[in-house]
Amino acid sequence: MGLFDMLSMSASALTAERQRAEVTSANLANAETTHTAAGGPYVRKEVVFSATGASPFRSVINQVGNFPQPVAGSVQLSQVVDDPTPPIQRYEPGSPDADENGMVNYPAINPINEMVDLMGASRSYQLNASAVSAAKQMIQESIDILKSS
Amino acid sequence: MSTFSSLQQLQGYLQVVTDRQQQITSNIANVDTPGYHGKDIDFQAEMRQVMSGDSSLQMQPASQEETGLIERPDGNDVDIDRESLILAQTQLQFQLGVQLVKSQFHTLLTAIKEE
Repeated sequence: MGLFDMLSMSASALTAERQRAEVTSANLANAETTHTAAGGPYVRKEVVFSATGASPFRSVINQVGNFPQPVAGSVQLSQVVDDPTPPIQRYEPGSPDADENGMVNYPAINPINEMVDLMGASRSYQLNASAVSAAKQMIQESIDILKSS
Repeated sequence: MSTFSSLQQLQGYLQVVTDRQQQITSNIANVDTPGYHGKDIDFQAEMRQVMSGDSSLQMQPASQEETGLIERPDGNDVDIDRESLILAQTQLQFQLGVQLVKSQFHTLLTAIKEE
């Protein structure tokens, strides 16, 4: 309850969308990576979002003051999962990562999918940024009541 | 109607608008959450409660799921256009309420100053 909760909810969404864009960028950057520390080619990552309750600060305040708990409304990145799609094999006998048949495993990453995902994250980020502006303006207006007219 | 009772009603109005704005912000935050269903606050019902002077349920706004929205394949039914529209609407409603509060205080000040 309150104008400042709106800011924390939008902030959680901004964080989640930024992390989504980061993971997508990592996928794009590693589209041709055949060698990783864990062995084998790079595995495409995907994010999972989930809805959560209010900010921890607000929850504790309401618990102490015996106020009702506010509506659940924030979002968080709950986990980053590996894409189970098998790697793409290309015939490159000269490569140090080639197997005995001369095949090299490449990550199954389609740049078009990643770009669309990146655009989606960017648009959602914009939308939440405008929600932040709206909340900021409302807070400013409330403060302006104090100004003598 | 005295200045103070209209101020109290205006406070209730601002509270309802803030609650609705918060619900819309939450919908916007969850625009990419699979399985999330958008919620909204029944503005008219809440305002009726405020005008009737019954403040017993003020702390807990009744948010309900929006109906008639098309669900995407991931089970999420938040409509971005609709949410941004309501965001702009509640913002202006809030501005109106604040201006009315200011004018009430201005009236009060005029009475005090005996001008």
